[in-house]
Amino acid sequence: MQYRDVSLTKLSDTMWEIPRTGGMLVPGLIFASEAMMPDILRDEAVRQVMNVAYLPGILKYSIGMPDIHWGYGFPIGGVAAMDVDEGVISPGGVGYDINCGVRLLRSDLTAEWLRPRLPELVAALHHEVPSGVGSTGFVRLSGPDEEKVLGEGSRWAASAGFGTDEDVAHTESAGKFPGADPDAVSMVAKKRGREQLGTLGSGNHFLEVDEVPEIFDEEAASAYGLFRGQAVVLIHSGSRGLGYQVCDDYLLTMAEYMRKNRIELPDRQLACAHIRSPEGERYLSALAAAANFAFTNRQLLAHQARETFLRVFKMGPNDLGMRLVYDVGHNNAKFEEYEIDGRRKKVLVHRKGATRAFPPGHPEIPEPYRRAGQPVFIPGEMGNASYVLAGVPGAMRLSFGSTCHGAGRRMSRTQAKASVRGKSITQEMERRGVLVACASQKTLAEEIPEAYKDVSAVVDVVHAAGIAKKVARLKPIAVVKG
Amino acid sequence: MRRRGYRLLPHTADIRLEVCGGDLSELFAESVSALFSLLADRRRVRAAESRTLRISGETPEDQLFLLLREALLLFTADRFLVRSARGRMNESGGTVEVSGEPFDLSRHSVLREIKAVTAHGLVVERVPEGHVARFILDV
Repeated sequence: MQYRDVSLTKLSDTMWEIPRTGGMLVPGLIFASEAMMPDILRDEAVRQVMNVAYLPGILKYSIGMPDIHWGYGFPIGGVAAMDVDEGVISPGGVGYDINCGVRLLRSDLTAEWLRPRLPELVAALHHEVPSGVGSTGFVRLSGPDEEKVLGEGSRWAASAGFGTDEDVAHTESAGKFPGADPDAVSMVAKKRGREQLGTLGSGNHFLEVDEVPEIFDEEAASAYGLFRGQAVVLIHSGSRGLGYQVCDDYLLTMAEYMRKNRIELPDRQLACAHIRSPEGERYLSALAAAANFAFTNRQLLAHQARETFLRVFKMGPNDLGMRLVYDVGHNNAKFEEYEIDGRRKKVLVHRKGATRAFPPGHPEIPEPYRRAGQPVFIPGEMGNASYVLAGVPGAMRLSFGSTCHGAGRRMSRTQAKASVRGKSITQEMERRGVLVACASQKTLAEEIPEAYKDVSAVVDVVHAAGIAKKVARLKPIAVVKG
Repeated sequence: MRRRGYRLLPHTADIRLEVCGGDLSELFAESVSALFSLLADRRRVRAAESRTLRISGETPEDQLFLLLREALLLFTADRFLVRSARGRMNESGGTVEVSGEPFDLSRHSVLREIKAVTAHGLVVERVPEGHVARFILDV
């Protein structure tokens, strides 16, 4: 397979190697099927995988997932692990929406029971879960409370009455990144965050009610509390303006660091600093604080969803059985340990649009899921499908414990809007069995299912490549979007 | 090529735009206007107050990047929407004077959330008609 003047080597039906050229310190590795490659090769994403390979201290491979697409600096769907002593941390390798991620709530309800009551539920969810640009949260955060959110993450939400101990235990890293320092977050970032805690945001963020029509792995599904025909809730959101501002602030800090230390890279948006430098350490403290904000944000959204279900269906919590299965981020940088060349090594893994996927037995997985592997959630095109996956050992060997994160865009927003001109997306989605409530019709047009790659093809690749396994398919029946 | 104004260029995930201006000061002002056109319906924004954005940085690329970053903060941090912008260059850099008003949810429609102005692929070029800039907004 040819990409401009570079020949990609096919390693297997799902893996492609980009040979080292120019200043690349390691080769590139892309997980994709042959059928996906023309789409992937079309824009700058492959060039970006190659650029990431220039970063000092990068280990083994610069990796691209099957949902890879053109980002800024790093591609979306990129993974890069760095040597802790020699390597760098790059805010562009995490993304603007720090710790953007997905959480899944299970319930004891069936989709069949829910269906006739959906219009009322969706209207209530749209009313109670703040979404759209300029929306503000239902929690008025004081300055000291915001410091606690940044320092403690989900634990703050639970102690303030917005969640349970089980919610906290079922969140990646127990809802709290270690090393968070609220002082490393600028006043402007805090200001942007204060009003936005507990808001969904806009664009591709959503709250979705799904049916579980298909289960691939009964044992894992049962461990996660999932059954066929069940109604579940999937939430996709991140650290809102606070995270965007942290990224923006530190890109400037890193650009200055690079000038001072004469580090030259092919793209300004790859700005970075050594992990062990004061600039690198300070960004990691701010990143952890923003990640904690994102966990708390999703916890508040889940709390609102749960309360709305209870109120609309006039049920008690035990009848509803709406418990958090898991919450996992897909825009992060984390210290983890891997075996490299026969030796155990601590590395810093950048995941930008990639999900951590730890295998059975990993100590970071909550006890009830230790045998099944870490739950992973892959939101797909609106109205089509989303997936529940589980971590498998192959990801530790091949992709630094990472797998894909979504469908990945195929069409630009302008193309998407042009393709729906004059049509009502809400009606079209209803025809496909999905009730949609959206703050903006423009956003909705940009997010039509056709604008995305086929999520089923994406998860088939990670399943076949052995970097996650399929557990269940979800079919959206209602979507609330910003 | 047009002498001033902006147009969208293809980009899969984000918004990539091309802005034209006769000289650098016009290019910078047009870029700020373009940013706010993509953010909100500018026709509904009244020119009630003015604010001054300073132009700093060594190269035109740095200047544009830092300026747009400050301009976006007008909305994201101060909830201020811009109706129009006028640039003025001088020896120490220059300024862009913007007119607009505080965001009011009951009157203004915000079109999309713009997370940030990115430095990826940001260019400023001299062309026979004046100056042209291309940059990407993360949405």
